[in-house]
Amino acid sequence: MPSEFALLSSMILVATAAGGLFAKRMSVSLIFLFYSSVTLGIIFTLYGSVLVGLLHIITFAGAISVMLLTSMLMIGESNLDIGVRKLEGLVVGAVAALGAAASYIVFARLPSSGTQEALQPFSLLQFIWQFRPWDLLILIMIFASSMIAVANLFSREP
Amino acid sequence: MITDQQIFLATATVMVLLGISSMVYSRNLVKTVMSFQVVVFGANLALFSSGLTTSSNLISDSLVLFSIVVGASVEAVGLAIVVTVHRKYGTLNPMEIRRLRH
Repeated sequence: MPSEFALLSSMILVATAAGGLFAKRMSVSLIFLFYSSVTLGIIFTLYGSVLVGLLHIITFAGAISVMLLTSMLMIGESNLDIGVRKLEGLVVGAVAALGAAASYIVFARLPSSGTQEALQPFSLLQFIWQFRPWDLLILIMIFASSMIAVANLFSREP
Repeated sequence: MITDQQIFLATATVMVLLGISSMVYSRNLVKTVMSFQVVVFGANLALFSSGLTTSSNLISDSLVLFSIVVGASVEAVGLAIVVTVHRKYGTLNPMEIRRLRH
């Protein structure tokens, strides 16, 4: 991978993160952070960690973005211009372009169906079991306890 | 000659500093959670770039996976706390919340 790509992707990452932090409107911050998550996931994917990149995009650009959006809607501080046609078209176009680019990158790096790697679908996750099996158990415990904490917090009456 | 690892480490440092400074100066708790997300991004990038020099970066990959799950869990709990605080105090400004507590 040429160093120009690292420099360019780093600049995009810092610019989107700074835009997300310093934007005045929450909805604009959320969109910038979404692009920041996707950029970081693409960096991970292009430098050989397909699993980590996909998990990063799914977790931060998917789940956490939806959680932030839901929280903003519950709080009532968002000024989302959902009804504006231009913004809708812009967001849909950008998401479609990013999805197409990410799909092309991922499928171009995956081995073809006739190779030995394709016959072992669990080889992607095998390194976790080989190197850090206790980490996986700890991760499951952390995630489960955080979900219990979230459910507990939302179930309380003010 | 600047390597990719050095570029990514510098980027990670900038992102962590950006996130921490925004966290300190933020007057909105949702913005604080967003700043924490940027800090987690920087930490993930630093962990990932630490494994770029070796031929096999499986340890750094597993550490990044660990960091992703822990960061997402912390952020979920933080957002739930933010919503609960807003229900109770009606504001998200930390200074105002401190004033209303007494």
